Amino acid sequence: MNSQNRRRLRGLSVHVVLMICVVVSVFPFYWIIVMATNTSQDIYSFPPKLWFGDNLLTNIENLFAKMDFFGSLLNTMIVAVGTTLLVLFFDSLAGFAFAKYDFPAKRFLFGLLLAMYILPTQLAIIPQYEIMVQLGWLGTLKALIVPAAANAFGIFWMRQYTSTGVPDELLDAARIEGAGFFRQYWHVVLPCVRPALAFLGIYTFIAAWNDYVLPLVMLVNPDELTLQVALAQLYAGHSTDYSMVMAGVLLAVIPLVLVFTFFARGFIADATKGALR
Amino acid sequence: MDLSRRRFLEAAVLAAATAGATAACGGGAESTGGKDSKNLKLWYWAGGLSDKVVADAKKHFSGTTLKASVIGGDFKTKLLTGMKTAQTAPDITGIKGEDIASFLPNANRFLDLNSLGMDKLAPDYLSWKLKQATTQDGKLIGFPIDIGPCAVYYREDIFDKAGLPTDPVKVSAQLSTWDAYFDAGVQLHRKVPKSFLINNIGAVFSMAIGQGTRRFIDEDNTFIGDQDHIRQAWTTAVKPYTLGIDAKINDNTWNAAVAKGTVATGLGAAWYALDIQNAAPGTKGKWRVASLPSGPSNLGGSFLCLPATCANPELAFDIVKWMLSPENQARGFTDAALFPTSPAAYELPALTGGDAFFGGQKTIEIFGPAAEKIPAAYEAPADAAVSVAYFNELTSIEAKGKDPETAWKDAVSQAKQVAQRQGVK
Amino acid sequence: MSSSPVAGPAPTGPSSGAMTGPSGQPAPDRRRGPGRTGRRFRPVSAGGRNGPQRGARRGIARYWPQYLAVTPYYLIFSVFMLFPMLYTVYLAFQRWDGIGEIQFVGLQQFRFLWDDPVFWLSIRNTLVIWVLSTVPMLFMALVMAVLVNSTRRFTGFYRVALFIPSITSLVAIAIFFAAVFSNDFGLINAVLKALHLSAVPWMSNEWTIKLVIAALMTWQWTGYNAIIYLAGLQAIPSELYEAARMDGAGPVRIFFSITIPLLRPIILFTVVISTVTGLQSFTEPQVMFGSDASTNPNSGGPGRAGLTTLLYFYNQAFDNNDFGYAAAIVWSFFLLILILVIVNWRLVQHKERRP
Repeated sequence: MNSQNRRRLRGLSVHVVLMICVVVSVFPFYWIIVMATNTSQDIYSFPPKLWFGDNLLTNIENLFAKMDFFGSLLNTMIVAVGTTLLVLFFDSLAGFAFAKYDFPAKRFLFGLLLAMYILPTQLAIIPQYEIMVQLGWLGTLKALIVPAAANAFGIFWMRQYTSTGVPDELLDAARIEGAGFFRQYWHVVLPCVRPALAFLGIYTFIAAWNDYVLPLVMLVNPDELTLQVALAQLYAGHSTDYSMVMAGVLLAVIPLVLVFTFFARGFIADATKGALR
Repeated sequence: MDLSRRRFLEAAVLAAATAGATAACGGGAESTGGKDSKNLKLWYWAGGLSDKVVADAKKHFSGTTLKASVIGGDFKTKLLTGMKTAQTAPDITGIKGEDIASFLPNANRFLDLNSLGMDKLAPDYLSWKLKQATTQDGKLIGFPIDIGPCAVYYREDIFDKAGLPTDPVKVSAQLSTWDAYFDAGVQLHRKVPKSFLINNIGAVFSMAIGQGTRRFIDEDNTFIGDQDHIRQAWTTAVKPYTLGIDAKINDNTWNAAVAKGTVATGLGAAWYALDIQNAAPGTKGKWRVASLPSGPSNLGGSFLCLPATCANPELAFDIVKWMLSPENQARGFTDAALFPTSPAAYELPALTGGDAFFGGQKTIEIFGPAAEKIPAAYEAPADAAVSVAYFNELTSIEAKGKDPETAWKDAVSQAKQVAQRQGVK
Repeated sequence: MSSSPVAGPAPTGPSSGAMTGPSGQPAPDRRRGPGRTGRRFRPVSAGGRNGPQRGARRGIARYWPQYLAVTPYYLIFSVFMLFPMLYTVYLAFQRWDGIGEIQFVGLQQFRFLWDDPVFWLSIRNTLVIWVLSTVPMLFMALVMAVLVNSTRRFTGFYRVALFIPSITSLVAIAIFFAAVFSNDFGLINAVLKALHLSAVPWMSNEWTIKLVIAALMTWQWTGYNAIIYLAGLQAIPSELYEAARMDGAGPVRIFFSITIPLLRPIILFTVVISTVTGLQSFTEPQVMFGSDASTNPNSGGPGRAGLTTLLYFYNQAFDNNDFGYAAAIVWSFFLLILILVIVNWRLVQHKERRP
């Protein structure tokens, strides 16, 4: 009885500690809402308001006057969706070739892939910028989508999944029926690797959505900015009106967090797999 | 979680194709033909032009589509990026006063306004300001938007509490030198402990530099940032720090500090008024303007320039000329605190009237005389880049309590190095 | 510059071949490390229905579908990564303002670099921020993982809630942290004031600036690392624990003599990842101190206390347009990291061999 109580107490204290961690994790979202729903004067005052106010609509109105929110949202969507689709296509195709076929120089190419993925991107960013100038892509969303259209991590991930997730028997059967490489990809591989694609898709989408450095360097005009850059500029230029800036932060963060929580369980399981590989 | 295979592949191919196709078009569409386009792009930063004047310009030039963009972030960086290609470059762009010198070596990237008719208008505008945008061979690349005659902005109510004079004329008289200004600051901080005299010492430094006729690099492209005139400005700047009347604000809390009265005075150009109004609309009527201690100084004041890729130079120049006419400059002053570069505007009611934010004070009485007496200093292309070291070391004094003497030495050696990197002797 | 897809934060596992994941994970292909790829494949295509004779005749041309399939990545990689990287090396020996002529200056940029106190300051800042964030981050992550592993209730909820920070936009969070730690009206100082403590000038003191940046990184990545540790913990067979308990070992002893050694490869992995992302901090100070960009563009705040090396690089490249110098900065920095990683690796290897 006594030891049972003690165990229960210990279990409880574990949950108390973990709940504190959870509170710390999600507190910023709560506080962003508090700041976004009050006025800047409320934010400046002491003691600060701890609960939601009713100024959200005014703040959003002010926000829309200062920044083309939906334009930026649209640009971000174009970049994120475009990048994701291209990455899924190119990476799964390359992953299939690496997983199920032998071809000369394959080991070399695959080794290169792994070596390259620890190289920091900023080693390349100045010439990248000049290349975009030469291509006439500077200040367009292409400058963000094309360089990100295929990546080492995705190919690696898809290769790993394809080599066990796609049974050789199925491929052999398709081959006997006369299917070439691309028809095998289309009819056999794609249906089998959907779960891996889903993870890679969400991962790429989130990374593209949150990317800041490349858009910061490549984009110029207010009407072509992505949300992250627009938000940083809004803050730099109008940090006088905190509640308005926070309304922008809120609008930019909430959709992604909601989408994520919807897919969260499967995604987290896959993410750890990716890490433990 | 699952994606429909067909839809996904279709979309991917479509995305790839669009990217490719638009890329192909983007490359070919560069040649826009003649220089008579009716679509012009105007770039400026928030507060760089009066939004009302810009809106009116769109109406006034009815046959033209003027696309005005307020560019955020670091404007110079964005402009340099934009000017890389003809299709991203603006047709009319603002350039900040502190950046104009760095564009002069690349003057061929801009149109010479004199050849577009500016030479005839020149007498109507301040000559020292035009000189800032003129190359050594006489090309003029910028039409001056505004100048930044400097003044002391002060809180009348806090001065009153501290037992200091409150009337602008008397304040100007009492704060005639930097030392007198700092003395007043000591008294103020003693009587009203929560208020400081200045937000940071970098502001004092830039004012003191602007009061001289020489800056960090001279006309022979020699580094002179280690000489007496800079040293003196440095010593002046460090004083309020040692006296404990420096609020040491180097971040965005300036806004809140202004609203709360943590800073009782501010050193700034005419356009500084707008910053104060934005930061602290609640302090309306409590601010006044007095002359800058130890003589007038200029800070900033921008230009409108036409990049060489401008799609219609004549029309663009007409628009610029119209937006910066004396009448419209006067509107710019009321609307965005842009102090006119055309002396004719100083006579207009918009400037001679009182300003409600400053308790009805006629601020032209302070800025007008200052504008006329501003010392013209040579500003080298690398001047801004070199000066950064001094400002950073001044904030190091404030942030880390770094010894001012060490800070001075570090600032000079860093500035020298930057100068060397930028090709200065 | 940590948020690009290539060097992306979450599950980019570099050099994963060296690591043996814990057993019992339902990963599809864990046993096969990448370093040993070629040998394990059945040469399915090579022996396709056309037989080897035809293949020999046409040489490598018959592999065109495979080459076509892998081409996009290598094309993109060559154009937007490999060539630019080499070009950056070339630029480090030139002077170039981005508009005018490129001028060869030999080793001058590196001499400038060696004498540039700001560069060394930025290195110091980067390392301090990295230590301040990585150590508490990984430690707390381990504790959190052990706690979640010790219970069976709400684990799904905990996992999601702890993971959320890592997918949140860094820009948004940097703005949020700047507001919360604001000297004048920040929540933290308001709390201190309510407790009758004196306010701390978080955003202007040289150490607290680093602390705030480190706190941001800790907030963002602790949960992510905890989830990874958790997966590792769940893979440790419970018989091991039972045997230890039979031998009379207490929970602390079990933690240090069973849990930690078995988690070692995973800990190593998280250290590598945190090093790679931690040393590349850029967005945090760039956004946080972006609002005073008008006077000191991208200087990393008062006293340049938040000036990380990559921020200094960006500053020199895109504010000062000193591209040659910027190239020298970024390559020197990369080589420095590389040396650091190699030394670290050697130390770890050395320790591993000893027992």
